[in-house]
Order: sequence, then structure tokens, then C-alpha cells
Amino acid sequence: MFNQKTIFSKLMLLVLGLIIIEIANAAPPEAKEANPQSKQDKKIEDKKKERKLSKTSAKLIASKPLLASKVLSSLIDSEINKKIKEEKVTPSAKSTDAEFQRRAYLDIIGRIPSSSETKTFLEDTTSNKRVKLVDDLLADDEFGKHMADIWQALLLPRISDNRRVQTEPLTLWLENQFNVNTGWDQITKELLTSTGPQDQNGSITYFISNASVDKMTDSVSKLFLGVQLQCAQCHNHPFVDWKQNDYWGLAAFFMKVQAKPPGGKDTSSPTVSEGKGLNKNKKSLPEAAQFVPAKFLASGEATLNTAEPYRPVLANWLTSKTNPFFSKAMANRVWAQYFGKGLVDPVDDMHDGNPATHPELLETLATQFSASNFDLKFLIRSICNSETYQRSSKPNASNKETDIALLAHMPIKNMTPEQLFDSLTTVIGAASKGNQRADKNKAAKNLPKGARAQFVAFFQPEEGTSALSYETGIPQILRLMNSPQMNPPNIIQRLVDKNEDTKTSIEKIYLSILNRMPTDEESSRMTNFLSQATDKNKGLGDMVWALLNTSEFTLNH
Amino acid sequence: MSNEMVGGLYRRDLLKLGALGVGGVSASGWMNVLAGHAAETQAKHKSCILLYMSGGPSHKDTFDLKPDSEGAGEFKPISTSAPGIQISEHLPKLAKWMHKSALLRGMSTGEGAHARAAYFLHTGYKEGQGGLTYPSLGAIASMETGNPALPIPNFVTINGGRSYGSGYLGSKHQPLNIADAKSGVANLSALVSDNQFNSRVSLLNEMEKAFHKDYSSDAGVSHQTTYQRAVTMMKSAQAKAFDISSEPSNLRSEYGSGKFGEGCLLARRLVETGVRFVEVNLGGWDTHQDNFEKVKSLSAQVDAGMSTLISDLSQRGLLDSTLIVWMGDFGRTPKINQRGPKPGRDHYPKAWTSVMVGGGIKGGQVIGKTDKQGATVEERPISTIDFMSTACGILGIDYTKSVQTPIGRPIRIVEKGANPIKELLA
Repeated sequence: MFNQKTIFSKLMLLVLGLIIIEIANAAPPEAKEANPQSKQDKKIEDKKKERKLSKTSAKLIASKPLLASKVLSSLIDSEINKKIKEEKVTPSAKSTDAEFQRRAYLDIIGRIPSSSETKTFLEDTTSNKRVKLVDDLLADDEFGKHMADIWQALLLPRISDNRRVQTEPLTLWLENQFNVNTGWDQITKELLTSTGPQDQNGSITYFISNASVDKMTDSVSKLFLGVQLQCAQCHNHPFVDWKQNDYWGLAAFFMKVQAKPPGGKDTSSPTVSEGKGLNKNKKSLPEAAQFVPAKFLASGEATLNTAEPYRPVLANWLTSKTNPFFSKAMANRVWAQYFGKGLVDPVDDMHDGNPATHPELLETLATQFSASNFDLKFLIRSICNSETYQRSSKPNASNKETDIALLAHMPIKNMTPEQLFDSLTTVIGAASKGNQRADKNKAAKNLPKGARAQFVAFFQPEEGTSALSYETGIPQILRLMNSPQMNPPNIIQRLVDKNEDTKTSIEKIYLSILNRMPTDEESSRMTNFLSQATDKNKGLGDMVWALLNTSEFTLNH
Repeated sequence: MSNEMVGGLYRRDLLKLGALGVGGVSASGWMNVLAGHAAETQAKHKSCILLYMSGGPSHKDTFDLKPDSEGAGEFKPISTSAPGIQISEHLPKLAKWMHKSALLRGMSTGEGAHARAAYFLHTGYKEGQGGLTYPSLGAIASMETGNPALPIPNFVTINGGRSYGSGYLGSKHQPLNIADAKSGVANLSALVSDNQFNSRVSLLNEMEKAFHKDYSSDAGVSHQTTYQRAVTMMKSAQAKAFDISSEPSNLRSEYGSGKFGEGCLLARRLVETGVRFVEVNLGGWDTHQDNFEKVKSLSAQVDAGMSTLISDLSQRGLLDSTLIVWMGDFGRTPKINQRGPKPGRDHYPKAWTSVMVGGGIKGGQVIGKTDKQGATVEERPISTIDFMSTACGILGIDYTKSVQTPIGRPIRIVEKGANPIKELLA
């Protein structure tokens, strides 16, 4: 024991020594690569290779022919049902049309359906109306907007350095990419390699909001590789076999990128460029920085040409079909978006010690996503047409207490702030013109632009909050209950017709807010409630208020 | 005994009120009861009022004057109630409380950009470190010392400014933000009459019950709980603490009529009600230009607000259980810059002063010392984590404790290596 310890600490000292020498020489990675390796270097290399055998699941994804979306849907179901059967659990019934429609609207385009959209779908008697709804929603421009909301929040960390970053160029760029269904590999490549001024290329916003080597390394590994490397920035990862070398090997690809603040000669926009020289400004690097040869994560060293930009080399490896992480990471993220929880959870912490709940399913989703050339709409369509996705969120006696990840019933998700705002405005109408003007004035003081951005900023949960938990605070609830903006006086006129009978009004309000017809019991309860009101509008106002504040409205079920 | 809500008051409190014959619940009546209650529970844990000076006040023009140095500035030092301790002539009322205060003149904190410095000083961690969002001291106090039965949040921030929130501790410890002490909590009162609001809430409860019978879920349960907390707060007696209009006008004018003075007054009311951590912001200290005019006018606000806060807490027997901290982003350059017609001072994190009052600390002392220029710390340098560990210690929080982040990573409340200021503890 003692001996082992001594040997270990000697080895550590040796490694430390090498690091110090390396930092002292500050040898750029490519220079080191050209030199023959010293014996000691070689020894360490051999050690690393040994270690790699036990390394985090870095199996290559086997290439498979592309299946029809329908077939993938049934593969999803067979994997999920297999486990449900093993656990001897009875899955919940198929969702009603109303449940399915509301869920699909929220998940695919980010808002609840309007009352007329609800009515049209519920009254439609064609047998394949669910398949058609999924296709229609995927073809709607609001799909891109919703995806852009999700990805903008992920790509732009909410930190003080980013207070002045213009987010709109990125949002618009993302929206368009998602709507024209650019492959996820192409979107990623563009985000990772783009250069130029922001007003000409919105995708550079990603780099200027993560404008240091370590921030970029953390973000890229979390978002596109599904792994958390940040611990390995300063020390070898305590639980996972990530070494500091892995971190700084990946970080080496970002050593030549530079972000220039706005106000240059040619443009008033901030600009990103990748120059020839290494970014020598050590001040911008953390104290733990190491200069090691550029290395693909768990996949060997990169051959770099010093005269060329480095990031495209990384992007080509990262987005290639043979990358063991890329397709899996996104397939898992999309799954989490639709079911509230990834097959691997948290979505950015994929490693051997944290296996998928359904490993074969994740493998299948990843291979098929890759075979489809990273077609997001294909992946989403396959998920939404599955029996699993279309199950009711109403648990039954058999599956009430079972692990939510079994998906014996649909998990109930909290809405994102954007979903909540867009759903509220679907019911109560958009902010008036006057409001928008007031927002413009505030924008001048670095406040988020517009009512929507303000609402989103106010309701934003902490990073890493699970979609399955409701973490909204008291100030937010006070706003929902008591602010005049959320409770406009003209709401009743908007939702009902004063000449119609009470029953019709009740139905219209239910269709608008809960996207379903009231049950007979509810209908008579509400009729009774309204009959007690001193005037009908006051009663209707109370009813609308109550419905808008229910879990049934606020949650995606 | 059950402690359910009865007409917005906890049964326990109602009984107390009844026993004291304040069934009519006059404002002063219940406030006194609550104050007594607070004093009782605060024996174990202390409250904190952080007076945060956004922008970074000039130490050489406030609490660490160097009359004979280069860049001494225009202000004269005055003697205080603590023998041998001098502060700026523009803080005369505060000077009378120096025997209860400690000046930490050895602050040396490294971060020289506003947002990063404020983050570091609020949380004890550098922004972005280890990829986490860290909780600020207020959220830590809420978690470690807060009273979970209080119908209002245990962490309240006043006058905007960024408090840096609860980070990985989650929404339960998020601060309640009050933009303006005079208008209180936004949206605290219902849009309709009490009767109509009650009828709305009971209709809502009915519908919630029906939904949850069929669709039980974690999200649904906490949706209901949070709504209950919000409604409870709206109706609670404690929420009256947010209304400073009931305070006597002479006291209000002693605090000062500006937002800062009003914030200090609200802070006192909240601490009295049992809120554990209140942060009051005063901006405008970024005096690159026109330093002396600006510092003079800001000092007047601090002098009125802070000294009245001390005396008010002291009169109510709450000073020993309430720690008041005065600090900003950093200090300012010992030399006066040469820019513009009215020059000023620039950012200076290397040596500056923060102040602590009350909370049972030993007053009338200076900790740390800067050189003749006020440029470097010569004795007892105080790093950010030294400062954080000291504040935690005074508030009764074990700063060496580790807290689990949502992904199960243990993070210490204050990082290793902190050297708390033992001299402060009496």
C-alpha cells in the first residue's frame, strides 16, 4: 500500500514536472507535435493508451440503413414496452385527442392551440389526423421559433459578460435553420466555425457569448458531445475517466479564435476571426491552463496545419457519423425535450457510470438520426407518432408509483417561460401597441427587449432545473394572479359572445384555456357558480382567472 | 398543536395575539408581538442587512482617509465615538456609531470589473468557476438559518441591483425583489375585492383537486404548494411589513427621503418580522468623473440611512442579533485621475474598506491597515473568502459545510483556504 502510494506520487510529480516544463516553454501544440517524443513523454503516452481501454463508452456508432419514420416509431415502442413488461406494469391508456393535441402543440411549436384550432382538430373525423397534425406542426414556422428559443438559452449563457450581447441575430439564424431543416451536423459546424461580423452572420453570437477557451470547451462538450468536462479543467475528473489532458486537448482547438468588440473599421458589429497565431494572452486563460497537442475527445490526436484555422478540423471530427458522442448527444437531448428527461439524465453527463435507462433504444435513435443525415424533423416525427409519446399522462393504479423513466405514462412537464408566455397570449391576446412602445424605451437601458423577453427573463428558472419539476417562485405567481397585464379587462369579450347561452360560454372558455370540452360535471358546477355571481361577466371573469391559474393550464401534460 | 392558517394568520400567532389582547390587530400591536417573537428565535441565528454600494466606493474618501498622501482628495477626517478611529467628515452621524462598528481596511479582492467583482463578493466564488452558478450569501442564509414557516421569503432584495440569487440552491431560496421600497412587493394585492378573490381562490382549489386526483405529479404538487405560499403571503400579517407608509414621519425623514433611506427602513421592518437576509442597494459609486461631488452626496444618503438603521435596531433590541454589512464592488484608485474637467478615481480591488456593525461583533476597532497612500494592504489582508467566512461565522452558518448541487456535486459554502477574522468575535 505504502509502496504503491510512493510510486503513484512519484509518477504524479513526474507528470507535474512535465506540465511545468511544458508551460515554461509554452510550446505551441504543433511545434511539439513535430518533435520526436522524448522517452518520458512516450511512457506517459503508453500509460494513457492503457487507460483508454477502460475509458468512457466511446464505442463507434455502427452505420445502419435509414428506416422509415413509422418503423422507428414502432422500434421506440418495442424497446419501451419491453421494459414495462419486465417490470410487470400496465401502461396507461392512449391519450385523448385533446390531450394529444395540446401536448403536440406545446412540444412542437411551443404554445397551446387556439380555441378554433382546438375545435377543428377535435371535430376532425379522419383516422390519421394525429399523423397529419404532427406533419403540419413540423411544417409550421413556429416550430423553428420554438427550437430557437430552446437552443438560444443553451448556447448563450446568462452571465454578466453577456449583458450587452445582441441575441436576436442568433435567434433569427437558428429559427431559419430549424425551419428549413438544415442537418444538425451542418448547424453545429456553422456554430463552431463561423467567422465575420455579427450583423452578417448571426451564428458567430455563439462564440462571442462564450468568448474564452475554457467557456467554449465547457459549452461544446456539454451541448454537442453530451459530456461534462469542466471538472477536468483543473483536475482529473473525480468520477469519470476524464483527465486534464482530455480537457486541454479539446481546448487547444480554440486557441486561435478571437472575438473583437463592436466598433471596428469595417463594421459596427462584434466580429469573430480565427487568426494564424495562437492566442498568447495568458490572462484570458484560467490558471490551470495547459498547452497540450489538440486531441479529439477519446479519439486520438489531431493533425493540424498551423497556417490554417483549427476549428474546422474539430468540427469535421465532431459532426462526422463516426463520432461516438455527437449523434447520441442530440438524440438524447431531443428525447429529453419531448419526455422531460433524457434516456441519459442529466443530458450532458453521458458516461459509463451514468448509463441510459434504455441503452438499446438510445443506440437505435442515435444510429437512425445519423443515418438520416441528422434530420431533426425525422427524429421528432418518429417520436411523436410513437405509442409511447401518445400515452396519457394520467397514471393508473399499476404505474402510479413506478419510475417516471419507465414511460408507462407520459411524464408531466413544466412549461418553459416562452411556452407559458406564448400560451397565455394565445388566450388573452398579444400586448397592446402602447406596451410595446414602453418596452422600446426600456431596451435603451439594457433591459431585455419587448414584453416577451421581459416575461421570459422574469420566469427563467435556474440552469439545470428539471422540466419535470415546477420551480416557479412566489413573485412570478403573484404576477400571474394579480398583474393587470396577465388579467386584461377585455378578456371576456375576447373569449365569449354576450348573446350566447351560459353553457356555450363555458364550453368556449374551456376550449380556449384547457383545450378540451368541459365534462358534464364541470359544466353544471360552472353553471351553478355563474348563477351565484351578481353579474354574469364578473362570474365569467372569476372562472377565467381560476382556469388560467390551474396546474392543468400551466403544465404540459 | 396544529399551525394551520386562520384568516391569514397562523393559529399559534392568533392565540398569542388573543392572549395579549390585540384581537383588533392594530398595526403596532402585531408588529410588537412579532418583534418579540423574532428576538426570541434570533438568539440562535442572526439576521443580516447588506448595504451594497454598486459601482465601488472610494475608500480614501469614506472610511480610510489619508490626508497627507498623494491624491488625498478634498475631504477631511473627523474623530468618532471610537477613540483613535477617524472617518470622512461627510459621515458625521455614522461617526457616533463607530464604537459599535468594525472597519475592515484590509480588503483585497482581486476582481476589478463591476459584474465579476459583485458576483465574487456576493457568492465567494468567481463567476463561471467549475461551470456552476453559485448562491449568494443571502440565499445561503435563507437555506441555513431561514425560518421555513415564515409566509414571506427569507431573502429579500431592495432597490434593484443584482444580488446573484440562489444559484444551485434552487427557487426556494431565490430573493424576493423589491424595486422600490415605497411601492412594496409588486402585485401583492389582488385586482378584485377580498371577497371576490377568496371566491376565485376556492374555485381554483376545487379545480386543482380534481386535476390532481387524476394527474398526480411532482410538478403539480409544487405548483399547488407555491400557489398556496403566494396566497398565504398575500393574506399574511407579515406582508404588512412591506408597507413603510405606516411608519411615523419623523422616523422616515431621519432615514432620508431617498430610495436608499426608504430601503433601510423597509429592511428594519423585514428583519423585525423574521426575514433573515435583506440586501439594500445604493448605486452611483462608479466615480471615474466628478468623484468628490458624487461621493459627498452619496455619503449623505449613507450617513442618514445607515446611522438611523443602527439606532432604530438598537432601540428595538435587535442590533446584537442583526449584522449590518456595508460594502461595494471594490475601492478606488489612491491617485486621482487626470481625465476631464472634474476628475475622479478608477477601479481598485487591491486595497479597500468594508464595514460591519452589530450582530454581536466587537465594535470600535479597525482590522487591517493600508500604507500611507491607501494603495496596498500592510496588515491583515482580507480576501473575498476571508470576508465570506467571517460573515457566515457571525450569522451562525458553518462555512466549511458542503452542499450538494442538483447533480450531486458537493460544494463547500466557502472554499477551502479562508482565514476568518477572529478579532471580530467578542
